[in-house]
Amino acid sequence: MTRLHGFVSGVPDTVHLKEAGDIPSLIRHLNHADPSVRWHAADALGTCGGTAVPLLLEALHSRLVPVRLGALEALGAIRDLRAVSPVIDIINHDTLLEVQWAAVLALGEIGSPDAIPLLVPLLRDTNRYLRYGAAIALGRLGWQPQNEADTVYLLIARQDWESVRHLGAAATPYLSIIFRDNDPATREGIVTVLGQMGDLQAQALCQTALKDKSPYVRWKAVLASMNCGLASYDLPLMVAARERTGPDPAAAALLNFFFLGIGYNYIGKWWGFPVFMTYMSILVIAQLAMGPFLPYLIAYPITAILGIHTYYLAERMSDAGM
Amino acid sequence: MLLDLIPKRKPDVGALIKKRDIPGLIGALSCRDPIVQSAAVHALGDIGPAAVGPLILALKGKNRLLRLGAIGALAKIKDSGAVSALADMMKDPGSEVRWQAVIALGEMGSREAIAPLLLGLEDPDKYVRFGSALSLEKNGYQPSGETGWAWHYAAMQDWDRLRAMGVSALAPLFSLLRDTDSDVRVRAVRVLGEIGNREAGPALIRSLGDADRQVRWEAVLASQKCGVPPMYLPRGLYQRPRIQKNPLVAGFLNFLLPGLGYGYLGKWWGIMIFQIELQITLWLWKAEGENNSYLLLYPLYILLAVHAWYLAKNMPEEPA
Repeated sequence: MTRLHGFVSGVPDTVHLKEAGDIPSLIRHLNHADPSVRWHAADALGTCGGTAVPLLLEALHSRLVPVRLGALEALGAIRDLRAVSPVIDIINHDTLLEVQWAAVLALGEIGSPDAIPLLVPLLRDTNRYLRYGAAIALGRLGWQPQNEADTVYLLIARQDWESVRHLGAAATPYLSIIFRDNDPATREGIVTVLGQMGDLQAQALCQTALKDKSPYVRWKAVLASMNCGLASYDLPLMVAARERTGPDPAAAALLNFFFLGIGYNYIGKWWGFPVFMTYMSILVIAQLAMGPFLPYLIAYPITAILGIHTYYLAERMSDAGM
Repeated sequence: MLLDLIPKRKPDVGALIKKRDIPGLIGALSCRDPIVQSAAVHALGDIGPAAVGPLILALKGKNRLLRLGAIGALAKIKDSGAVSALADMMKDPGSEVRWQAVIALGEMGSREAIAPLLLGLEDPDKYVRFGSALSLEKNGYQPSGETGWAWHYAAMQDWDRLRAMGVSALAPLFSLLRDTDSDVRVRAVRVLGEIGNREAGPALIRSLGDADRQVRWEAVLASQKCGVPPMYLPRGLYQRPRIQKNPLVAGFLNFLLPGLGYGYLGKWWGIMIFQIELQITLWLWKAEGENNSYLLLYPLYILLAVHAWYLAKNMPEEPA
């Protein structure tokens, strides 16, 4: 899309450009500095009909994200079936979430049933935006779930937790799959529903949730686990096995052993650097006086003790957010 | 606080009260010990109108604790002559100062205090808004009309009443979307969705670019209830702030100070590499001389720079 380079910002009249049928200029305006001009350009392109489609398909390969987003919006509004395959390519190959999401929604707007086989698996994607987008798009295409799995995935994608809860134990295996979502709020929602259902089959998922890196998910898991039949004395064991997000005690100790002070700095103590600088100054002066090795022999027993001290400090810190 | 490490003599408030030493008591207002500060506030309040002039002057002080204390003392004195000075304090950049100012205005019992307090209902800080609503009640103010009540309920965070008000609540809810507390923004977005009016669309699209991920997600759900075309949502989300390390900075740092580029990327071992490299450089200088050392080290620096650049480039983005 070399034509996009050298674009000069101004206050363009998108209505005039549309009337003149100047599609290349409208596409350039999709990357205008003023966001409202971008909206207007995308809206105008959406009313240009089939003549704009070839250039818009070309714009899908622009390296500029706003251009790709605007082109997808316009293609969704034009609803030309020629766009289905290139838009599917975007879902499969674009790396940016917003562009993928726009492509999913555009497929729903274009209205081709050919998109359904691609959209149904997206209901179980690990990203909630893509799941939600797929649910909206499938709704536009008049798709109805054909089996229990698709029904549950559709409800989860719509974040309709109440309906999921009504499905009872049948929903548990599908909730387990969606639990991979990287958003803690979704994981919290899943664990809460499991707790409300009180399904004994959900114990494995509760155990995973008890080890979650998010403290909110862990707390919801504690509440849910009781209802799912986990023994209360198992809960602390699971929580203790959680992924620690605080400073690594071993790293703190190692740093303080070799570079006294940096370990303290690593665990968030502002005075770590002054300690380090003082230590290094003393070490260099001692090396000048005693040679290169003897000062280390004296220093290491001391830094070993302080390394152990840092280890325990860091360990206590990583427990703070249980 | 670093400043707390510097020992400072606490003022003897008892002695200052005995001497009715107004400048001394005003000086004590900036004490970091809240007990001393509070004693000075009460003492100045007991002195009454004689302290009002010096206290109003103290409001112009640079010290935040001094301003807070002076407003507190004026609240205790309840001299309506201070209303205008207190109203000016509602432009203070410190939210605690503004909060204290609206509380003080509530103590004045003056009709003049109502206009600035009404402005306080639109403050981006929830404490200031809440204080304004309570102070308005204290001054006997009753909101007139639906919109007036909506601003009052917004300040009191009465979400159920806001929802029930429907369209009249839109303006205060839009204002709440600027709140510094993300939890307030989440609640405001939810209520906008429950009201389901199309006019909320542009504000919800702006909220898609919020710094908080939960606000963004709630805005997605709410916008669907307000008739926002789904195709507009990805562009709204694209406005979100992106916290990503700059690969060029990582590479540059690793070239000039090998190891610190890794540190910039959050790798705890970056500083270790930096130290080890420093030691190696010193030993090489001693053994090989400066020029030969750099001939040996530069290719290594370039390699480390490229590695840090590559690591930064492939770092996963913060989830939407």
